[in-house]
Amino acid sequence: MSTHTYTTPPAANPHSKLRPGRYWIAAVVAGVVVLTLIASSLLNYVYLDSIPGRASLYGLLAVALIALGTFIGVRAFTRDRASRRKHLIRAGVLLGFGVLLWLLVIDVFVFTQSAGPTVAGICALACLPTTAFGLLVVRRMDRNEKEPWRLVLVAAAWGAIVATSLVIWGESLWDATAQHTLVPGPGLDASTAFSAGLLEELAKGVAVVLLFLVMRDDFDDVVDGIVYGAAVGLGFNFLESVAYMTNLYSIFEPEGFGWAAAGFQWYGRQVLGLFFGHATYTAFIGAGLGVARQLPHPRQKALAILSGFLIAIAGHFAWDAWITFFPIDPGVLGLLEIHLRTLIMTGPFTAAVVALLLFGIRYEAIGLVDQFRKEAASGSGTILMDEVPVLASPWQRLKQRLRAFRRGGLRAYFQVARLQSAQLDLAMERWHRERKEIDTPLEAEDALRQRVLELRHLVPAS
Amino acid sequence: MSVAPYDQILTLYRTLLVFATVAVVILSIGLVEFVYFEPPGQTTGATAHIVGVFAYDPATGTTRGPDRTTFARTDQFAAVVDWSQLPRDIVVDARWFNSFGSIVGRAGPGTPAELGPQSTVPVIVPPGLHHSLPGHYEFVVERLTDGRPVEVLARRIVLVER
Repeated sequence: MSTHTYTTPPAANPHSKLRPGRYWIAAVVAGVVVLTLIASSLLNYVYLDSIPGRASLYGLLAVALIALGTFIGVRAFTRDRASRRKHLIRAGVLLGFGVLLWLLVIDVFVFTQSAGPTVAGICALACLPTTAFGLLVVRRMDRNEKEPWRLVLVAAAWGAIVATSLVIWGESLWDATAQHTLVPGPGLDASTAFSAGLLEELAKGVAVVLLFLVMRDDFDDVVDGIVYGAAVGLGFNFLESVAYMTNLYSIFEPEGFGWAAAGFQWYGRQVLGLFFGHATYTAFIGAGLGVARQLPHPRQKALAILSGFLIAIAGHFAWDAWITFFPIDPGVLGLLEIHLRTLIMTGPFTAAVVALLLFGIRYEAIGLVDQFRKEAASGSGTILMDEVPVLASPWQRLKQRLRAFRRGGLRAYFQVARLQSAQLDLAMERWHRERKEIDTPLEAEDALRQRVLELRHLVPAS
Repeated sequence: MSVAPYDQILTLYRTLLVFATVAVVILSIGLVEFVYFEPPGQTTGATAHIVGVFAYDPATGTTRGPDRTTFARTDQFAAVVDWSQLPRDIVVDARWFNSFGSIVGRAGPGTPAELGPQSTVPVIVPPGLHHSLPGHYEFVVERLTDGRPVEVLARRIVLVER
């Protein structure tokens, strides 16, 4: 066992040839995204001269601030404690300015024009609790090692702000061209659906790809991929819901049922479609990346990633293109039909991603239990043999935490929680190292052991 | 002889490939659907003449005022088509679509000679509404084959303001 002490585990293996490559790819992807945003905004402004076009141009600064703040914030956690706070404050200020500017742009230039800032605010407030609930559920799906909130929220913010900005120009141009050249009807519907499926899934998928490339330590497997993908989808769904609600409100308000139209959209997108729509589609992109994370051969990795994107695009396309084939009765029967339509059209995709998730959780659990046993057998003292059954079961872990709570209150609860989390981190690190799918140095694993031992000293014996 | 343990990640990978195959089938069906409703090689060179889009008086069934591209929600409006410039042996129709893609007015289908008297094609306010919904309205004159629109012979887009 190493006797060295570290403030934080070394971030990278200096001899790794993988990590710099990943960072270069991430930098190129980020560069393409920024250039696309700039081009998109300028083209919108020059050619479309529409309200969303102007919003896109003025919103560019907000997007840049959020992107920079996010980057600094995420990287702050890999720094030592001394400089972490400084970087977090910088990130917080940038994010704060970015969000305020973005909200201003959205309210003033988009929704104010059609429905007014009060309606936009009410719609956004209505979507916040449901989206937050969705994120909570999605994060809890990872039974063994929950993803950091900062990354889950970054993923959702990307979906809401960056991905929506990325698709404005592409979809506007595609749809305008199609409307001026195609015969109205199913052919045009199919074209519009191809546009939405391709452009929206690519825009959302970029976020998951960047997390996969840059935050590899927090992107372990298919389960993590599904969590991040679904979070991006929920973020996208949030802003799309607000946009549709305000738009339909402004269309139907003069007829006297603006709130009913907005409320119907809210129910369809934030309740019925919360997990069935964007969250499901982008979860497939995450699943593809998560599977690729653990595959040994580059060809298999590429195919897995491509598969994830293909399934997401196809699921999105199928909904948009064929929704008109399920006409909804204007009467009471329509209420039932709306639910059945979602269940029949998107249900199979959601069931498929849930199947991947369940298999992924089981696969991860088997790998972790194996590593718990090996670590316990090594005699390092980080994991004891009688702790293995507890660590292997989320319910047993919860019971252990509750026992600590009864004994020593919240403080004891969180001490045990931190210890369990560190033990799981160690097992995960061991699992990846054994599978040769990690590029952090062995010292990082030793630092994790050291951390477990330190935490163990804080937890009173049960 | 020892056998390397089967890596379960391959099961996930293969499952993903199966799902991807289904995805390719779905996208292919979409492509076939697109080609079916937008068949290539349908351009005849014929064009219809839309005289204009005018304010419309449903009581008299006549249009009035100049050709316009924007209307207020409370306005009623109609397109006027000159069917005489079209070949006599084709089947055509004219349709209005609102911004939701719903048909809100139509004439035909029939031959240009049959449709001659129906030169004014108004937008009908949907049942339950007092006025036309705001948004872009598209008016198309289409050529039909086997009862299916295959070519747009003329098109106009107007805006109904909020």
